[in-house]
Amino acid sequence: MKRKSLFIHCLVLIALIAVLPLSMVQADGHCEFAEDTVKIGGLVPLSAPGAVAGGIAMSWAINRAADDINADCGITIDGANHAIEIVIGDSEGSPERGQAVVERFILEDEVDAVTGVYHSAVGLATMSMLDENGVPTVFSEPWNDNVSANGIMEYDGRPPRNADGVDHVFRVSPASSMVGGVVVNWLIDLGVGNVVIIAENTDYGQPAAADEYARFEAAGATVTQINVELGTEDFVPILSRIQASAETPDVVRVLVTGETSFNLTQQMAELGIAPTEDTICVTNQVAFQSEQYWQNVPDGNYCAFNRVGIIPSLFSDTAVELNDAYFEEFEDIVPSYAMASYDAVFILADAIERAGSTSDGAAISAAIETTDLDLSQGRYYFEYGNHNPELPEGTPAFMWHQWPDPVVTMMQYFEQGQSSLDAAVIYPAVYQTHGTDYITPGSSP
Amino acid sequence: MNESFATWLLLAGPLWAAIGLYFLPRMAPKRKRDSAVSEHDLQAAGVVGGFALGPVGIGLFYLAPNLIRRFTLAAGITIAVFIAAQALVRVSDPNLPSALWLILAGPLWAGIASYFIPRRYRDAEAIDTNALTAAALGGFAIGPLIFGLTWKHTPRISREWIIVLGSLGAWQIYTLFAIHNATNPCVAAPFHLTYLTQQTANGVVIGSIYSLMAVGLTLIYSVQGVVSFAHGQLYMVGGYFSFYFLLHAGNILSELTGAEVSVNPIWGIPVAAVIVFIMGAVFERIFLKPMHEGLIERVSEYAILITFGFGFFLEYTTLAIAGPFPQRTNRFIEIRRFTLPRTQITDDFFFGPIHIIGDRAFAMVVGIVLIFALLYFLQRSWTGRALRATSQDRQAAAVTGINPTNMNTLSFALGSMLAAMSGAALIPIFNWVPWVGAEMVGRSYVIVVLGGLGSVPGALAGGVIVGIVEALGAGCHPDPSRGAAYKEAFALVIFALVLLLKPTGLFGREHN
Amino acid sequence: MMALFRRFETAIDNGIGRRRLSYLLIALIIAFFLWFPNDTSQSNYAKTVFISGFFYAIMSSSWALLAGIAGQFSFGHMAFMGIGAYVAGLIARDGITFALLGINITPESISAIGSIIIGTIAAGAVGLVIGWLLLRLRAAYLALFTIAFSELFRIMMLTEYDYTGGSNGLSLRPLLQIADVNVARQVEYYLMFALLIVCLLGLYWVANSPIGLFLRAMREDEDAASALGVNVVRYKILVFVFTSMIVGCAGAIFYSDVGSERIIPEQLEILQMSLIIAYAVIGGMESLIGAAAGAFISRYLLEAMRQVVITLPFGMTTADGSDAFVWDTGFWRFALFGVVMVFTLRYMRNGLLYPIITWFSGRDIAMKETVAIRESDDEHAARLETDDE
Repeated sequence: MKRKSLFIHCLVLIALIAVLPLSMVQADGHCEFAEDTVKIGGLVPLSAPGAVAGGIAMSWAINRAADDINADCGITIDGANHAIEIVIGDSEGSPERGQAVVERFILEDEVDAVTGVYHSAVGLATMSMLDENGVPTVFSEPWNDNVSANGIMEYDGRPPRNADGVDHVFRVSPASSMVGGVVVNWLIDLGVGNVVIIAENTDYGQPAAADEYARFEAAGATVTQINVELGTEDFVPILSRIQASAETPDVVRVLVTGETSFNLTQQMAELGIAPTEDTICVTNQVAFQSEQYWQNVPDGNYCAFNRVGIIPSLFSDTAVELNDAYFEEFEDIVPSYAMASYDAVFILADAIERAGSTSDGAAISAAIETTDLDLSQGRYYFEYGNHNPELPEGTPAFMWHQWPDPVVTMMQYFEQGQSSLDAAVIYPAVYQTHGTDYITPGSSP
Repeated sequence: MNESFATWLLLAGPLWAAIGLYFLPRMAPKRKRDSAVSEHDLQAAGVVGGFALGPVGIGLFYLAPNLIRRFTLAAGITIAVFIAAQALVRVSDPNLPSALWLILAGPLWAGIASYFIPRRYRDAEAIDTNALTAAALGGFAIGPLIFGLTWKHTPRISREWIIVLGSLGAWQIYTLFAIHNATNPCVAAPFHLTYLTQQTANGVVIGSIYSLMAVGLTLIYSVQGVVSFAHGQLYMVGGYFSFYFLLHAGNILSELTGAEVSVNPIWGIPVAAVIVFIMGAVFERIFLKPMHEGLIERVSEYAILITFGFGFFLEYTTLAIAGPFPQRTNRFIEIRRFTLPRTQITDDFFFGPIHIIGDRAFAMVVGIVLIFALLYFLQRSWTGRALRATSQDRQAAAVTGINPTNMNTLSFALGSMLAAMSGAALIPIFNWVPWVGAEMVGRSYVIVVLGGLGSVPGALAGGVIVGIVEALGAGCHPDPSRGAAYKEAFALVIFALVLLLKPTGLFGREHN
Repeated sequence: MMALFRRFETAIDNGIGRRRLSYLLIALIIAFFLWFPNDTSQSNYAKTVFISGFFYAIMSSSWALLAGIAGQFSFGHMAFMGIGAYVAGLIARDGITFALLGINITPESISAIGSIIIGTIAAGAVGLVIGWLLLRLRAAYLALFTIAFSELFRIMMLTEYDYTGGSNGLSLRPLLQIADVNVARQVEYYLMFALLIVCLLGLYWVANSPIGLFLRAMREDEDAASALGVNVVRYKILVFVFTSMIVGCAGAIFYSDVGSERIIPEQLEILQMSLIIAYAVIGGMESLIGAAAGAFISRYLLEAMRQVVITLPFGMTTADGSDAFVWDTGFWRFALFGVVMVFTLRYMRNGLLYPIITWFSGRDIAMKETVAIRESDDEHAARLETDDE
């Protein structure tokens, strides 16, 4: 008897869950859509060992972009409206899975374009497959320098080009060298001489650390690099080591992501290593999500961080809207990779519309090359591509099909619990909001 | 040392090992052999002896096959250290033959001593419990002198012996290290005393909290004979229960009072403890109880798998509910850090400053208080005594009217509760994600094996030792860029050494 | 329903016989797998899915031999796989030199197959050392140590960035060099399938050999087995090394651009290992083919359960006008997987496929008979007792 009533309870519960959506409001359908949709594949990590939090945000942004475009009657080709349909694939952060998903995108889902990718390893493993199959692709988050057109073909000093004269892989996230440059230039301008870099031992941390290391050395600073394993919780032993070194470091640069970065920064602050009057604390873009940052790094006031994407005070209406929606969903400031993923869908939709075809990969890719759009992160265009194939001397090969100005700025918190929208932009000088390039701990701008 | 000589050294071993493997079982005279020495022992001896000592080793075993069992172990240790020494010499300054000798002498004497001394104990019919460990450590630390200490009267070797000898050995390694890596903060004057104290303090503070978790693991093992592979996940959910309790309690109080109220995380500890205690008890009743009733075949395998599956379930359920975003509660106390100020003793010699993060110090106190409360419970209360009685002898306990089934449930629930409490004590210190248990539980396994599976004081000591070793390892690793990444590896080295030298651990009961 | 099944059962027993039916079925399954890549309606993606399915089937069936039959709980299975793959990759890239022996393996002189063989041997050698160190101790020690060991191995592969490529992964030398993607995928499919069959045959051979019998004996009662003169430790080590080599070889082949073109350290995480264990448990730890099938089926289900679509009855529609309610399961499917694993262990110890396997092998007839004999014995005894009164 008892068992039976439990069973009925369960049934009722299931029925309730099933009926719940019925009570919601019907969406208004003011657009007439053509039968065939434009399919865009979103390759994001949604299971461990991938960076799940990043994947969830990216998948949210990609879907939102599609909803926004569809609400505006989708993509119009020859007078017919085509709705965008998003197919999300889970890369699990693994190249093997990433390849399988891309294969599924191409063969089963028959997507017209692809965006997403969080882990560089996944980008490295999938880009040649995407390129060979002629799938227009805009990567929105991998940072490794080689995740770009020049990684696809053996680069021998000439701009890379596919056999058919087109290549299909684009990137709107910065290459890690582009970010490193800004951070190092800022610090060198401040006159630092003794630098400690703490880097995670991953495809993000190591190349970035190597790049910044070389730049600091070239500028005459002494650098100590410390590698840490992602997922480590207790950094006190290694931080004590920094504290015991004969010379107090002028700056501690954290090249670690996710919760590990928060642990590290918080312990650094608690031990009184940085930020202090002598030592600058420089953490990375994860600090921009201020709700999470202050929850996990309550002592992290006066930490500076690099920020990719347009600065909050210059947020366009699109960016503000996106940020509000993100805040509603996740209770935090929108991260740059969500913005980039959102924009990437718009770039693809725009290119498809201009190419006048949903399936001609070559035409779409050619259209992406001539993109000129103002979106949430700023104005998008691709400087070097088949439309402008000559890379000037000294321009790195990854600039091919690379969005040249992801705005990289340095920002700094100066009040406990401050929203990153109010934080000071301190570098480069043109973007400065508080007229200073560094706020010494304890002071206020 | 030139390159080809080093290659030769590396290669000679395997060659002789192969020769030993082939010939020794075939050549060794049957009549001289004990029945206890099997073919397999001879083969092992051939490989190991050949590797370590070349033709000398093979000859030795040929002449005295009865010595094989002990000597194989000793020679095995020699090999391990020999290879390590090779590596060390090759990476450091190659022009230091004396250092090479120093490195080699220890293991050699350790090998020799660990052959003769346990044998001496058995001949003299003295208690040989710790003889092997003491001989190996003693040989390493004080060379031939160890014979003088043990030979004449074959005194009973207590734990103190092992601790003293082990510390001496550690001191020697430290000295060698100082010769080779003079600029390392661990040895470079004038900071090193301060630095070492700082690192030891770091280790002790975090180690006390490690202990709390390991005590839970060992408690379950001592009563049930089961290693809980869900321990890390129980630790993790403990943190989350505390987090959600504090969040909701804070919200409710804020609404009632109309002001922003945050609840001190200390209140999360009892809440997490109660919930996980119940969870543990229910799990034990449903899944582990049948095991003791003879309903399940091959209990030990079942126990590993079922707890492992439970952990798997907990981790993903938490991930589905709480999401992958890091969380942290507010702090215990509003003091960022305690600092022992710098003391100048002479012009050249000073001590300090030493920093300890405030919340960690508080969590350490919580951990210690809880461990002592547990010990008090085990020693003084009827239930606690019943638990201990059950862990010592189930049948006898049952005869005296203790219900072993209830004791099983109690032990699992208590053990799980301790994991949850350490989780709740650490969530103000580390930020929390659903996979946070994995690193912690790996460390707990090292601790319980080091302390001796089933020994509560062992877990206490083991936690602190592992804490210190990790801190010193990360702090003193010659290459600062790798020290932090290999933090977990240092504990693993201890694990391997314990398994090799003393599988029963520091405080464990003897078993075969 | 039950009666229908009984009639069917009797018909089978009287006609073809279960054993022959099971052979027929296995032949059919093999034939299906052989035919599958020739099905033109299937895309290359389906083949990719199958290829990794074969790989995981090898992993979990060899783990079943180790844990289910030999009673050794290793969490280091993935690590041994990684050793095979990494060693093969590093040898093929950097070579190795033993000056004195005159052995000089250069990257040019070694073929992909050569590097795979060296990788396999390396996995076996590490297995030997670990087995020698641990298999004389209790089962729990092996489990504890291998967890720690595989973590250490993963961290090393991550940290020694300059040699192993860190988290970018290490590319192995491609085993097959076929330009046409379709042909290549076909060949890779057959290669991996053949490897699975060979591994299964090898595992069955070990399980049914005298060694396998000893292993089962000592799993039940180690002391009795050693009293019978079985050298327990030696056999344990032998099996441990054997399975280590199998997974090392499978890893080296799979990552030589057969299933994947690079191995990454994340593949060695405990999580991946726990999935292998879950596959084996659900499929049946004591049956090698059950574990292999468990891997195949579980992977399929985990993939299929990503999105649960409930079609609504009575022409109801959801908010956005579709006639089905869609639930993105996210991590709940893994949580559910954990529940299935725990309950399988508790209530169907031999795996969910066990009833099917026993039915086909006809073992349940024997079981019924034993029960019947026992019952009649009991009745007999009872009658004797009453007679005494």
